[in-house]
Amino acid sequence: MSVSRSFVEPNDKITSSQAAIVLNNTMLGAGILTLPRSVSESVKTPDSWISVLVGGIIVMLVVVIMLKLSLRFPGKTVFQYTQTIIGRYPGMVWCLMLILYYVVIAGFEIRAMAEVTLFYLLEGTPIWAITIPFIWLGAYLVLGGINSIARVFQIVFPISLFILIVSYLLSLRLFQIDNLRPVLGDGIYPVIQGLKSTVLVYSGCEVVMTLVAQLEHPKQALKAMLTGISIPVGLYFITIIMVIGGLSVDSAVTSTWPTIDLVRSFEITGFLFERFEFPLLVIWLMQMFCNYCSFFYNSSLGLSQVFNLSYKGVIFALVPVIFIVTMIPKNINEVFELGDSIGYSSILLFLLFPVTLSLIALMRFKGGIQYEKP
Amino acid sequence: MRSLKLVFMLLMVMVVITQSGCWSSNEIEDLAIYAGMALDEGEISTTEREFEEKGGAYSKQNKITATVQIVPLKAGSKGEVMGKTSPYTNITGAGDSILEIFRQFSLRMNKPIIGHHLKIIVISSQLLQHRSIKQITDFMLRDNDIRPSVKIFLSSEKAMQTLTTKTPDEVPSFYINDIVQNQFRTSKIMDPVLMTDLDALMHSKQSFILQNIIRAKKQIEFSGAGIIKGDSGKWIGTLTQEDVECINWLTNAGSSGVIKTKNEQDETMSYEIKEMKTRVRVNRGGDDRLVFQVRIEGKGRISEDWSVEDNPASDAYQTKAEKLFREKLTSMMEHLLSAMQSRYKVDVAMFGEAVRIQKPHIWKEVKANWDDTFSKSRINLNIDLQITEFGSTTK
Amino acid sequence: MLSSIKSHIPGWEVFFQALLTLAVPIVIYRIYAALNTLAKDKSGSAEGVSQTTYSGTEELPDHPFSRDYDNNMNRVREAIGANSDVIIRELAVGDSEVRAALVFVKGMQEDQLLKIQIMQMLLEAPFGQSISNLIDRIPTNSAHTTSSMDEFTQSILFGYMALIIDGHSEGLLINPPCGPSRDITEPLSESLLRGSRVGFTEELNMNTAMIRKQGLTGNLQIRSYRVGDTIQKELAIVYLNDIVNPDLLKEVHARIESIKIDFAAESGSIEQLIEDNYLSPFQQAQNTERPDRVIAALLEGKIAILLDGTPFALIVPVTFSMLLQSPEDYFERWLPGTLLRMLRFLAAFIAVMAPSLYISFISFHPGLIPTELALTIIETRQGVPFPALIEVMILEISIEILREAGIRLPKPIGPAMGIVGGLVIGEAAVQAGIVSPFLVIVVAVTAISSFSIPVYSAGITLRMLRFVAMLFAAILGMYGTILFFLLVCCHLSKLKSFGVPYLTPITPYRLSDWKDFFVRMPIFLMNRRPKLMKTKQNKRR
Repeated sequence: MSVSRSFVEPNDKITSSQAAIVLNNTMLGAGILTLPRSVSESVKTPDSWISVLVGGIIVMLVVVIMLKLSLRFPGKTVFQYTQTIIGRYPGMVWCLMLILYYVVIAGFEIRAMAEVTLFYLLEGTPIWAITIPFIWLGAYLVLGGINSIARVFQIVFPISLFILIVSYLLSLRLFQIDNLRPVLGDGIYPVIQGLKSTVLVYSGCEVVMTLVAQLEHPKQALKAMLTGISIPVGLYFITIIMVIGGLSVDSAVTSTWPTIDLVRSFEITGFLFERFEFPLLVIWLMQMFCNYCSFFYNSSLGLSQVFNLSYKGVIFALVPVIFIVTMIPKNINEVFELGDSIGYSSILLFLLFPVTLSLIALMRFKGGIQYEKP
Repeated sequence: MRSLKLVFMLLMVMVVITQSGCWSSNEIEDLAIYAGMALDEGEISTTEREFEEKGGAYSKQNKITATVQIVPLKAGSKGEVMGKTSPYTNITGAGDSILEIFRQFSLRMNKPIIGHHLKIIVISSQLLQHRSIKQITDFMLRDNDIRPSVKIFLSSEKAMQTLTTKTPDEVPSFYINDIVQNQFRTSKIMDPVLMTDLDALMHSKQSFILQNIIRAKKQIEFSGAGIIKGDSGKWIGTLTQEDVECINWLTNAGSSGVIKTKNEQDETMSYEIKEMKTRVRVNRGGDDRLVFQVRIEGKGRISEDWSVEDNPASDAYQTKAEKLFREKLTSMMEHLLSAMQSRYKVDVAMFGEAVRIQKPHIWKEVKANWDDTFSKSRINLNIDLQITEFGSTTK
Repeated sequence: MLSSIKSHIPGWEVFFQALLTLAVPIVIYRIYAALNTLAKDKSGSAEGVSQTTYSGTEELPDHPFSRDYDNNMNRVREAIGANSDVIIRELAVGDSEVRAALVFVKGMQEDQLLKIQIMQMLLEAPFGQSISNLIDRIPTNSAHTTSSMDEFTQSILFGYMALIIDGHSEGLLINPPCGPSRDITEPLSESLLRGSRVGFTEELNMNTAMIRKQGLTGNLQIRSYRVGDTIQKELAIVYLNDIVNPDLLKEVHARIESIKIDFAAESGSIEQLIEDNYLSPFQQAQNTERPDRVIAALLEGKIAILLDGTPFALIVPVTFSMLLQSPEDYFERWLPGTLLRMLRFLAAFIAVMAPSLYISFISFHPGLIPTELALTIIETRQGVPFPALIEVMILEISIEILREAGIRLPKPIGPAMGIVGGLVIGEAAVQAGIVSPFLVIVVAVTAISSFSIPVYSAGITLRMLRFVAMLFAAILGMYGTILFFLLVCCHLSKLKSFGVPYLTPITPYRLSDWKDFFVRMPIFLMNRRPKLMKTKQNKRR
């Protein structure tokens, strides 16, 4: 009502703990349910947990490179500094690719969410009735800017973490260490095979390049980002250990959503809810919401910054686009294929963005950043 | 602008009215929950025969008979009905696919059946003699209602009969489901094979065993286990109760149970196991056969001794008793091993796991025809049973 | 390649749906924006008007006092003489018998002794003294003069005892009104087992006094405002000068200045005029009857707004966690305090979610409840003719009606009514097979949970949200319930109360503020003021 807003500036900056949570929630999504299958398929031995760890370390390095690049341009997002580095029009094209990538991931996340919901919760409901409210809700949140998004993430994440840990602890009753042995029985080769699919679940770490610009204290960026990335690495690691240990590689490979199958494989009579897929699905849905919102936010921010459009207008314009992307895969196999191709394009984008941009930036602005200081 | 808004509003209202929500809504009391399922060889029941005579037939070859146990029948209003009628109904149908049979049930029942609360599946071993378990359980693995926590059992007789018991208040499915919990009393009950386990076992083409249920005069008993051959997925034979017990001890799955033997006077002595630990080491022998060193260590107490003369407190008695029990256990184990290695030529006691973990490169070679390799390999038993106490009496 | 792309282009329904997906949020956004501008317009014009009134008050010398006694008396009679309760007592002051008049309203000056003393003093006063000297000698504590006739007459009607003296161009307002007032009683809406039993009354002066009486400090400041156009009322903001953030103070000041209202009957109307978002279901100012609660809030750097004529003080800014805190948390030892607080969080969750969870489990996800429970529910729901939503609605709405009726009824009947309503209707409904006994348990637990919310108006919010949650659950089951939860989270994350994000300290994580959030840490650990308030003084000790 009142015009003056001096007390707490509604500045769109986030604290480093918020940034860490945002990064974490951006990556912790569909992978929780599908990772054990996709990795086991390519590893074929119980060593997939090594692949996840190694993949995590690789992604950490990638994040560090992105971070270093972004820190050269304080307060600027990737959409702004790409144009500075490689010129206006090439920059536009590159950013457009990144934006397209974000939009496709957002659509993919929603579709995966809808598939699980349709299968386990709402059989018979038309898919649009599930996806559309979800998209709207995301748009409502994204309208509030990064600050609101970070807040919601911070509410959702502790709940997710708690329930996830409890579910895994309870599934210890199925856990058999023999399912995880032998370690490296077939040598290192299967682990390398698995790296391909583990890197895929970490796709989304590109948001680091926008996140750094919104930090309240960019000095803590490295710590925040590494925390943000190590939480999903840790959770994926626990997931794979619990699922492979509880179900064995053979079962993980054959089930569509192995983690749900794991918690569906036991019933705890006499406990408040006997069936733990219910809380697991709840937190997974919320996690998917965070996931999708993060990509939605990044793509709309990108569009508005690249083309100088109004942020709100872009959000509204993207709503139907995301919906159409969601509806493009015709069956669940195509959904998974889409997921795989997202993973591959993330590798391409990695080459394109942090690596090339860093190189060019190094060549063009030698000796640091005296050129662009606010 | 205003007219545009109006159009959109109208559209919204239309969508809401025509497609109004609650697509998946289905009140819980309008559903028929089935708690148990039995699968038998295709054979038309008398009811169905009568239906067919009156024209209720569709094209089928009756490959399989499925019975589901629906709970509760019709609880009606409160306690009056309880006790008079049985708390469950079984409905049986024959056909070619389980799904089709289930949909066929919808023609005969006023409520749709849902499998969320399915607890057990009993499969008759006759059916498994000429159908692979993979074919039979495929529907259950794919279905989104049925949980992977369903326990699978075999029955050497008609499976549908195990779902009827004489106790009026008890639902047989729950009854069977609860018997499994007695595992801490006897190792003759094996770890239940869940749907998830089954999935993994079938995928890895291992041979495995499923608990067998028999029935006499409307009472049921868990008795031994049926062997499913890995590569064919078919039933090839049964192991006795003591074999199952031995497998449980070999695989560290159970550490309870009783070893009963006779002393020199032909009097009964029982040894109650408190702890049992088995270690299997595998090596390649000189003749290219695999050699398993099995070390079994047990601790327990003498719980029953019918002999009158012995002094249990004496060391001599203890050594003698330990020897007796060791011999008994060895003979039990040997019985099992001969059944596995010579009679059925399958490995159902997880010896393959030991190879896989300890010698991954050998496992790679022998994985394809493991059962053959196993039946040719040598197994050395090294059993050590300790008597730690004699109960609350020394006499 | 091309054909595969072609085959993936979705059908026209998808595009139609996409269009709808686009249209609906735009329409909603437009409506929302329109509603918001409506509010802005109102407040904008209010600022304009209030300025004109200010200039009006400065032009008051239109009706100054004249030195002529008769003239003054005539004007007073003209203005307020028609009121039957106005008493004008003319007398001759002092030995030189200067004409003077005492004017007051019947019933608002009770103190006979004082009147006698004043009259006696007036009659004996030596003439020639100026009025200011006279004031010094008047045996009351708040005598002052005014030269504005309008203010003079208004003050008389408000209850002041006034004096006009011949030859003086100023009127004397001798004694403030001491009209009928209520005793200090225990706060009705926030009663505690342990803690002070003092609650605010309708008297502003008494209320500020109560706050002052909490303890000795030189920093407690009280600023007074007049609100209301037709009928003016006194409003005070209270804060601790060395703690409060000056920007917040400025903000509150600006918002109160811009209040434009006919008559502020209760602090509720003030609350609605200064809040950030009038479309939000959540309150953005906390109301309380308890002085100890106010002082605790002041110590955290908050500001209290007190209005004359109501025992409810407002505390701004408010955050979500404050609504679930009770002063008792601090009075009890920290372990019970923490447990009770967690219990309240749980209760709030149950109060909002329980019926919708019931609906989603019963009508959508029979597979997610334990088998035994499912069988029990099936048994109890046999013969219930309604779907879960209708069933829950019937019972929930009747409980709400019961509660509403219980408040209206006189005290002795209220509890009886509750028993009749709750027990008899519930039991009869189950017997008649309209609702299932399981639902009665759910609804009862929900109702009881919502009673345990320490702030009454927050309880209302939760009750309201419960019905929304039920609708979501009825359409999309568990998924709908999750959507609802996320919607509330999104809304709360955007909401601000006087610039403080509503969700602090839930997010962003500030461990130091969490000492007083889910848990109530031992007092010696809570040695810092909440960071979210950005107070001037950070340390408590």
